[in-house]
Amino acid sequence: MRSGSSVLVWLAAVVTVAAFFYGMDHLIMSLQGLPLNLDLSPAQ
Amino acid sequence: MRGGSRRLTPKVSMLARADAGRSIALSAALIVAFILITSLSVPTSADRAVGWQSVAQAMAQTLEDSDVNADAKADEIITAPHPQRGDYPDIGISSRSIVWVIAQLHLNFAAFVLAVPIFVVLIEWLGLKTGNVRYDHMAREFMKISMSAYSITALFGGLLTLALFMLYPDLMRYMMHVFGAQMLVYAFLFIAESLFLYVYYYSWDALGEGNRKWLHLTLGLMLNTAGTTLLVLANSWATFMMAPSGVNEVGEVIGSIWEIMRGPLWNPLNLHRFLANIAFGGAVVGAYAAYRFLSAKTAEEKAAYDWMGYTSNFIAILSFLPLPFAGYWLMAEVYAYSQSMGITAMGGILSWLFIVQAVLIGAILLAGNYYLWSGMTRCEGAVRYQGFIKYIAFVLVLSFLVWVTPHTLILTPAEMKALGGSHHQFLGALGVMPAKNIAVNLMLIFTFLSFQLYRRSDKVAQVSWETAGNAFMVTIYAVAMLNVVFAGVYYGYFTSTVYNVGSSVIQVFSTLAVIVAGITIDGFMYKGAKTLPSQWGRVSNRSQYALFALPITFTWLMALMGYLRSSIRTDWHISDIMRDNSPDNFIPTIGYAGNMITMVTVLFVLLVLFVFWIATRADGGRQKANIEAEAGKL
Repeated sequence: MRSGSSVLVWLAAVVTVAAFFYGMDHLIMSLQGLPLNLDLSPAQ
Repeated sequence: MRGGSRRLTPKVSMLARADAGRSIALSAALIVAFILITSLSVPTSADRAVGWQSVAQAMAQTLEDSDVNADAKADEIITAPHPQRGDYPDIGISSRSIVWVIAQLHLNFAAFVLAVPIFVVLIEWLGLKTGNVRYDHMAREFMKISMSAYSITALFGGLLTLALFMLYPDLMRYMMHVFGAQMLVYAFLFIAESLFLYVYYYSWDALGEGNRKWLHLTLGLMLNTAGTTLLVLANSWATFMMAPSGVNEVGEVIGSIWEIMRGPLWNPLNLHRFLANIAFGGAVVGAYAAYRFLSAKTAEEKAAYDWMGYTSNFIAILSFLPLPFAGYWLMAEVYAYSQSMGITAMGGILSWLFIVQAVLIGAILLAGNYYLWSGMTRCEGAVRYQGFIKYIAFVLVLSFLVWVTPHTLILTPAEMKALGGSHHQFLGALGVMPAKNIAVNLMLIFTFLSFQLYRRSDKVAQVSWETAGNAFMVTIYAVAMLNVVFAGVYYGYFTSTVYNVGSSVIQVFSTLAVIVAGITIDGFMYKGAKTLPSQWGRVSNRSQYALFALPITFTWLMALMGYLRSSIRTDWHISDIMRDNSPDNFIPTIGYAGNMITMVTVLFVLLVLFVFWIATRADGGRQKANIEAEAGKL
């Protein structure tokens, strides 16, 4: 595999996996009636 | 092979079968008799004297109650009894201790014999699917160990029934009243399970070929259906005592049997015990394989038992990985049912048990990982991954240390002064749940990594998308770990408790995502992969001691957490409904419990060694023939 396409593969993996985990976190918290508070301010 | 099994040690084999049959018949008769006798009875307030004589009187009273006034009692409102101190038979030894030892031994053996057929049927099916006869031989040998243990399980079951009815007659009569016919279902299922077990095991040769093999597998499935139903029925008795449902505040039955069984803790306990049983069963047969490996005389025997040990460890660790989550769910439901019960478990004196639990689970994970790392010597292809071991070991040890850090220390005034308070400046932060959750999840993720590297060590992928697959796998590990740490630190330390608890679910699913993704990606990536040569039996003797460590630690752990689960009812037989007024109506001290737990573990290990010995003597001839036949296939 050429180095250019290799970088693209890794980039695609990072973006896809990060999006998946973000979606999963969001879903899990919302199922419990909690917002996914990522603004780092104290949540109540 | 068939001839071999008949030729060799026929007396031992026949005696073992006859003894097992008699033991089970005796135990079944005991259980059925007690259930039949007492299912019609109701609580009484008869005064009983102390001593052995009172036990006989209590039994006689139970019999009498079952016969008289049956019609009159049909219209009577039956509430939970309130026995006084004198109502409990006194035999000079703590009744609770007697029941404790018998119940724990019964539970250990029951967990083993219920679990083994589950993975045996899967292995047998794998043998049928792949056409590889060694799976079939291994499944049969696993069953052989289980058969030897089954009669001991039944004997302890009968003994437990006897002890409970003798020592806690009022409680048992009330339980019989509440559960009624469900206990009869239990008794008949026990008989059905015994029948399926015997037919399944002894028809192995007769139903070994062609379509008859499917009939044999169906028998195995029915055996497991009966066994698992037994498990969930018995669980409902334990969870009813912890969190009763289907009854009102005075214990009068107001719901159906389904409402009584389906209490808030029933399903969490079902899941927890189901997984734990499989892990425990895998660990025990792993010890058997290690025992046979270490005593093997030929290279073929070593190879066969090395493979058996590896498979057992695979079963034990894979079932163990999701277990902490099931335990977490159970404790969350305990808190949801009763906050005071939850705090008794995790906030008071019993909270120290969770530190001991951490040590034991740490020992299990370290032993499991060590076995996998040792096993990498079997294959030269493992050299590619051996460099990762030190990093995995570092994370495991670090996480283990975080997990065992207590929150509150028992300190002298001088120590407290030197420390600057009751909590350590830095280490205090590691004593709370968010830190533990991070540690546990990282340990599980890294254990799965060891497992995945081991599985990959003798393979070379042939698919064109290998780089992409690995890129995704590495990224999933990295993002999952970040997610676990972020959720633990941010939600755990900088937000309110509700976020803290909610975010722990994120951590659980992150770990599960790694496991599911790892199995899925590798499943596709290594389909049709090139296999590198590996040599079964080429593993150190040291690794086998790890296989011995697993069941011993599991046994101790089961007894420890059983003590905790039972103790959180404090001075209630049935929470908030039936008070315990016996002389043992207090939470035993940790030291006393430690001695009891150790005693039970030692007894169990001795009995298991006896089971191994019997299994080795019973039909070693067939196994030897199998090993010789398989020699070229491993």
